Amino acid sequence: MRLVAAELVESREILPRQWLQSYHAPSLAIGSRAGQFVHVRPGDFSGLVLRRPFSFNTIDAATGVVTIHFRAIGRGTDWFAHLRTGDSVDMLGPLGRPFEVDPRSRHVLLIAGGLGIAGVRMLADEAIGDGRQVVLLFGAGSAAEVYPSNLLPDEVEYIVATDDGSLGHRGYVTDLVTEYEGWADQAFACGPAPMLAALARLAAGRRERLGVARLGRKGGGRTDAPGSAAARRKSFLQVSMEQNMGCAVGACLGCVVMGTSGQPQRVCREGPVFAADELDWEAGW
Amino acid sequence: MKAGRAASSGKAHATRHRPGRDRRPGPVVEPIGGGPPEVIGRIDLSVELAPGLRLDNPILVASGTFGYGIEYGDVVDVQRLGAICCKGTTLKPRIGNVTPRVTETPAGMLNSIGLQNPGVDAVIERYAPTWAGWQVPVIVNVAGESVEDYVEVARRLDGVPGVAGIELNISCPNVGKGGLQFAIDADAAGAVTAAVRRATDLPLLVKLSPNVADVRPIARAIEKAGADAITAINTLSGIAVRPDRSRPLLGNIYGGLSGPAVKPVALRIVYEVAQVVDIPIVAIGGVSELADALDYFAVGACAVQVGTAVFADPTLPIRIIDGLEAECRRRGFDSFRPLIGTALPRKPGASSAKGVEYRP
Repeated sequence: MRLVAAELVESREILPRQWLQSYHAPSLAIGSRAGQFVHVRPGDFSGLVLRRPFSFNTIDAATGVVTIHFRAIGRGTDWFAHLRTGDSVDMLGPLGRPFEVDPRSRHVLLIAGGLGIAGVRMLADEAIGDGRQVVLLFGAGSAAEVYPSNLLPDEVEYIVATDDGSLGHRGYVTDLVTEYEGWADQAFACGPAPMLAALARLAAGRRERLGVARLGRKGGGRTDAPGSAAARRKSFLQVSMEQNMGCAVGACLGCVVMGTSGQPQRVCREGPVFAADELDWEAGW
Repeated sequence: MKAGRAASSGKAHATRHRPGRDRRPGPVVEPIGGGPPEVIGRIDLSVELAPGLRLDNPILVASGTFGYGIEYGDVVDVQRLGAICCKGTTLKPRIGNVTPRVTETPAGMLNSIGLQNPGVDAVIERYAPTWAGWQVPVIVNVAGESVEDYVEVARRLDGVPGVAGIELNISCPNVGKGGLQFAIDADAAGAVTAAVRRATDLPLLVKLSPNVADVRPIARAIEKAGADAITAINTLSGIAVRPDRSRPLLGNIYGGLSGPAVKPVALRIVYEVAQVVDIPIVAIGGVSELADALDYFAVGACAVQVGTAVFADPTLPIRIIDGLEAECRRRGFDSFRPLIGTALPRKPGASSAKGVEYRP
């Protein structure tokens, strides 16, 4: 975790009100992993007192450029959208825990709902770099909000669902999951809470539906502590969670989600990535 | 001016201050072109909040914004802080309130964490050994639902290496029985303070709630009950509404407002309390730059806590410390005490009643 001055090198409105910004931040570009995030300070402290969390969208270690992808939905994100090339912002990062891919996973399924693409986008690069096959299921309201395919690596198989059927499958992105759950060794998702809850329910029933064996040694081996990187690596579904956030370092306890243990889990510290079975999806938190 | 331990506090010192009188002859250089001589030696930023609780400088980090002192890792050099007030601690573990728990508001934020904490025993076990190895004092913020709760937590903290003091949180606005009933009634505030005072010799700070009609009788009761210092203020009760206006935004509906938005309220309360008590006042409320700290000193505080602003800039408390030292140097002071109380009424007793108090 470091405080870094990052210079805006490119800012593009890639979808209506959605911005993709590239920042030169070499010290964040090395050692940060997919699923982690930065907490970025809007310049105007008199009005905007909180930093804004953004997942690493992509990282180019060679050029030292990290990108973030966000929707301008309020005063803070508007402030970022109005930044100009050459402006500098204060980034705190890398924060949180990354996605954990099992080294044996050949087939990686990414599931993104709307802006949730920002949470899993970088994992596509990492998985392809590691020689895995990647399918990305993407859901949005309509064709106008569909993430541009030219921003994805060519190797990714990109499947789209829209609520109104204006592009791809008509319906929810979760409808597409059953088609790929047998193919996938692991799945990684980010999006609205109801979507993630639906995916968690699907994942919980997957083994029974498919009759597949659990990854890892049958019967034997250690049981990894819930929430540990090793346990997450063995889970089929990992989700990147979102929550209103204060400090982003685990101090304020603002950004919790309820765990199956009955203990609130900090999105900024234990998360933002969780194994789906670590979270209590019925708690209503 | 009452006799006693307050005599060694910054505030008492300041009320007696006359320009130039306190200044020990130190190494000074006359700047070219006049102005106050600049002090080149060490500036004394230390402040004694209680017997046995001397801080190297008057800049603390506020409870709830700095966890247990370890969360910011290498980003903040915690050893340089005046003191750390840790997250509110209760007798039993608490899981806190439903989410959302925080939201930004104009020039501030609302929080309703609901005192999530692992309980006093776990706090002692997990964090006190680390604190014991630090030079920076850690003040444990204590919350409870009954006098017995407060007393029992204080008793368990008593004598624990690494625990430098207690800040009684009798004013958490975010839990049904968060102790707020103690903060809005002078007798109750005095009773809980006295009970904890009997249970421990630890330095004892009591944190005031702004959610009262007149804070002065409460502050007096707390002083009379034996508190070493007063912290003012806790958050202001408030709510926000969801963007779709379907219901209040926070899971708990009510939250506590903090940040620059509350500073005028906190400043007013510190100003009022400073005129009715002799124990040190630790001011808190929207400190986000050196000038805010100087304002609080001017109305009688002898230390300040930085809270919400830490989220935006974790290094701010350290920069305020450096800034304060530079300010003293620039003005020719070898300590920050001459900055304290400069905006208080000249004659004790003239009080803020001289102005028309705005109390709708």
